[in-house]
Amino acid sequence: MTVLSLGIVRGLAAQIVGTALGMGLVVLVRVLMGLHAWEAEPATVVGAMLGTIFFMIGVGSMNDWFRWARGEATPIHHGPPEGRPSWTRYFGVDYSHKVIGIQYGVTAILLLLTGGALASIFRVELAEAGRQFLDPAVFNTMIGMHGWGMIISILLGIAAFANYLIPLLIGASDMAFPRLNSWAFWLNVPAALVFLTSMFVGGWDTGWTAYPPLSARAPLGMQLYFVAVFFFGISSIVGALNLIATILLLRAPGMSLFRMPIFAWGVLATSIIALTATQLIALSFIMVMMQRLLGMGFFDPAQGGNPILFQHLFWFYSHPAVYIFVLPGLGVISEILPVFCRKPLFGYKWVALSSIAIALAGFLVWAHHMFTSGMASFLRVPFMFSTLLVAVPTGVKFFSWVATIWGGKLTFPTPMLFVLGALSVFLIGGLSGPPNGIVTTDLFLHDTYWIVGHFHATMFGGFVFPFFAAMYYWFPKLTGRMYNERLGQLHFWLMTPAFWIQSLGQMRVGLLGMRRRIVDYDPALGIEGGQLAVTIAGLVIGLSVLIMLVNLVYSARRGRVAERNPWNSRSPEWQIPSPVPEVNYPDGLQVIGEPYDYGLPDSRYVNLQVAAAGE
Amino acid sequence: MSSESLASYKAQLKANRLGLWLFFASESFMFGGLLAARFYLWGNTRPDLDQLLGLIVTSILLLSSFFMNRAESAIAHDDRKTFLNSLLITAALGLLFLVGVVGFEWQGHLKPWDGVYGAVLFGMTGLHALHVFSGVIIILLIWNRGRKGGFSAERHWGVEACAIYWHFVDVVWVFFYPALYLLGLPVS
Amino acid sequence: MKHFVIASVLVIVVTVLIILGLGSIDLVPNLASAEGEYVDLMFRAQLYVISFIFALIIVFILYSVVVFRRKPGDTSDGPHIRGNTTLEITWTVIPLIVVMGFGVWGALHLSEITAQEPNELVVEVTGFQFGWRFEYPDYGVNSSELYLPRDRKVLFRLTSTDVIHSFWIPEFRIKQDAVPGLWTELRVTPTQPGDYRVRCAELCGYAHSAMYAPVVVVEPDEFQAWLEGQEVGTPTPPEDLTPVERGAQLAEQQGCLSCHSIDGSTQVGPTWLGLYGSERPLEDGSTVVADEEYLRTAILDPGSQVVQGFPNIMPPAYTFLSDEELAALVAYLESLSD
Repeated sequence: MTVLSLGIVRGLAAQIVGTALGMGLVVLVRVLMGLHAWEAEPATVVGAMLGTIFFMIGVGSMNDWFRWARGEATPIHHGPPEGRPSWTRYFGVDYSHKVIGIQYGVTAILLLLTGGALASIFRVELAEAGRQFLDPAVFNTMIGMHGWGMIISILLGIAAFANYLIPLLIGASDMAFPRLNSWAFWLNVPAALVFLTSMFVGGWDTGWTAYPPLSARAPLGMQLYFVAVFFFGISSIVGALNLIATILLLRAPGMSLFRMPIFAWGVLATSIIALTATQLIALSFIMVMMQRLLGMGFFDPAQGGNPILFQHLFWFYSHPAVYIFVLPGLGVISEILPVFCRKPLFGYKWVALSSIAIALAGFLVWAHHMFTSGMASFLRVPFMFSTLLVAVPTGVKFFSWVATIWGGKLTFPTPMLFVLGALSVFLIGGLSGPPNGIVTTDLFLHDTYWIVGHFHATMFGGFVFPFFAAMYYWFPKLTGRMYNERLGQLHFWLMTPAFWIQSLGQMRVGLLGMRRRIVDYDPALGIEGGQLAVTIAGLVIGLSVLIMLVNLVYSARRGRVAERNPWNSRSPEWQIPSPVPEVNYPDGLQVIGEPYDYGLPDSRYVNLQVAAAGE
Repeated sequence: MSSESLASYKAQLKANRLGLWLFFASESFMFGGLLAARFYLWGNTRPDLDQLLGLIVTSILLLSSFFMNRAESAIAHDDRKTFLNSLLITAALGLLFLVGVVGFEWQGHLKPWDGVYGAVLFGMTGLHALHVFSGVIIILLIWNRGRKGGFSAERHWGVEACAIYWHFVDVVWVFFYPALYLLGLPVS
Repeated sequence: MKHFVIASVLVIVVTVLIILGLGSIDLVPNLASAEGEYVDLMFRAQLYVISFIFALIIVFILYSVVVFRRKPGDTSDGPHIRGNTTLEITWTVIPLIVVMGFGVWGALHLSEITAQEPNELVVEVTGFQFGWRFEYPDYGVNSSELYLPRDRKVLFRLTSTDVIHSFWIPEFRIKQDAVPGLWTELRVTPTQPGDYRVRCAELCGYAHSAMYAPVVVVEPDEFQAWLEGQEVGTPTPPEDLTPVERGAQLAEQQGCLSCHSIDGSTQVGPTWLGLYGSERPLEDGSTVVADEEYLRTAILDPGSQVVQGFPNIMPPAYTFLSDEELAALVAYLESLSD
């Protein structure tokens, strides 16, 4: 086995070659056109794009398509690669949804650590008034890197669980398009490298929102950010397409839509948004990119362009995007609660349809980010009403969860703790939302730290806490071993109070006048105590996440061997061995009951002996 | 061909068709975003473009869809000769369309850096032309496979996908053409 | 049922406690505008509702955690309750009514806040990287300070010369973006005399955090006096000015005075009063004398010689100044040390 037999190494080598080729191409074209040879912007953009494409070819994710185009047969190979150790499959193209799920998960955690490290650095800077050690240009780059780094980490984290779990939960053997699935994952790797490189070629001082005209005059890093987001976006669209097709077509016999595990509903709703709205952020970024490259004045007032148009296009994705982030997490909450309450999920259909309602309402609310932007002022009231509507299905979810918990027989292992933590945190995030949706109070709250607090509470409650709950909950199924319960509890008891302090602290300083995205603040506001508390709380959260990683890495190798169904769940994935064998359900799967009928004696959700019973 | 593999082919075909239409749903949002930008920035005006050229390229593209359709129905009836010829005609018409847009429209008085008119015109025609170009490439790949005996009356998903994609790109132009050439008052 | 009653009572108790707790601390800065009354009223009303819903959910969850935990040795499941349509409809419809009510109320407030009035004072605000200019078109007055009379509605007409900024004075509550190529509007009626600050609320680049402008709200007669004290009429062309006058004009136009005072007070940057010729302690511990050479370097490459106690946030963006303009600025600074 040589190093080059690892797909990722070939991909990286190809990316370097492709980037150089792309830059050379631009130089060549410019020389032929009689221009001076070197112009950094076009060379960088073309280099980054070609580099990414070369990575995809180098890693081997398009081999089967090339074969198909030549008319050759392309059978899918199952199981670990032949003649090589089985761990190598994680470093190259592999079509198993479980391998791709792990690949997504590890990449997501790496980006989570990057984003968290950046946040820790600038939170220290903000711990007291006055400038400590960060140059404002570096700070401005870091907040944007933190923002998008976390966004992509969330998107990949969702893809990790969706990929691993959806086929298992709906009784399928794999995703509808395994090759496309692998392709969508691998696209994130070169894109992430382009994204990280942007920090080192001048950065970009716009925050992740990249509003022009500021983004039209930002340093070169801006262009790499645009290129990276473009490819992340394609990956997200393709992944969503795959998930929708899988959920709609590959469900096991007997599994009607309303008998799916509820997590599948969350993923379905999320995928509908990701499939469609993502196009608009890509489009808006490409328009700024072209404005910089060719002087196309979409958003340039001097050319008759309009900066407000960018905000419309951008938020058409970027608001629904937060529903992309939270809907699967809310699905995880609905999925795990009944198991540890030993009660059916209260109002299954309402919970399921509320996800779809949030997704659809999400398409109609984008301009609530623009109440102060200077858009036509008659738009403000209709967008206020559509925004407030989102509170209704969200409320349905909350009340249904409380009703599920009420009167159950509750136990509190780590996953359940994180689900309860998610409820409490998402509650703060949710309740701090309507004041931003109502125009008058938003004119005050917009672009303050109140928004930062609100936003982080929704993200932690809607994604981070449920994501951690899911990690602990499905860890035995993924690895065949149990995590360390004591360390898990420590993680929870550090992170939850710290997050409360951080979130409420951010809202507090925001109300007192702390603006978003500033490297230094006016000590006259009287917010230094709050700022210090937020910083300390943030660092504690970071520490607790490290504890979790230590726990998971250690337990994956040394943990107690897990049984098939440690949680006594009804869900099909817990009825097969841990870890999941190469073929999910060798004897087929048939749904014969409701998914969450805890407390109903002698009821079963699935029958896994379809083949045996048929003979 | 065993009956089982035909069954799995049919199942995959169903998934493929759904996937392709989901892809179109996604793409529609991008083209819709461009149209929105056009109406936002141009409002009730449009640049003064060569009407004859617009009409010609539009006709060429519509005509190409007819030949694409003929190619698909030909392979469904195992008429390989018509199939291959129609594919080539479609590709040629597609290239002709590109020549019209890139070789003539883009060489006119309006340039990408000429205010919002240039920006939107090049943005819309550029992204559309990119799709036409990729369509031509796909047609040629399909033609190459067909030439070597690929595809049959029962199994020609590749041809079908290529055809639907081509029609989709065509339909997009049906929306773009009036938005660029017909709606609003011309300003020069 | 017993549990439900106890939990319900707890919800009310906790709601009251939260509202009392929030009422005992200053949540927002002092209010200084008539429009802000609507904002504060609405925000308070929202906090009441939020406190109730928060208590409702949290109390029921915590109560369950304490009371419904599984007893040791119990391996049975909970009761088999799949749902209740009446309940679901109830908690769909009631929140719907509440939020729509808030929506209507908010819309009414919005029309109050944006209402026009005769005799508005018009102030044209121009944001730039990294400062603000204020123009009083009815009086032909230009200023880098925002002077406002008390109890008169001000119509701010905002624009920007470069990127998007956002015009915000926390004590006035409401904010509005300043967008290049557009005129946006904001109406505010100051009610409390005092000193405030415009704080840019939209990330606008390097020194966004330091993009302030002083705001002074005064009684109407003082405002009139201030207006009359301002230079009225067309500015003298640059070539007719002495270097010191030219420097003073440049300092105003380029927004230097947003960060550097000329009266000895400390703002974002060091004051210019008495700066010329003084000993400057630098961040690396050394000291230099602020001569012409030093000042020129400090303007063109601000990061090269950072004075102790002041962050390096001055944009290195003034390289466009001509040699003559630099000389004028230095002459102006020199005049401030006499």
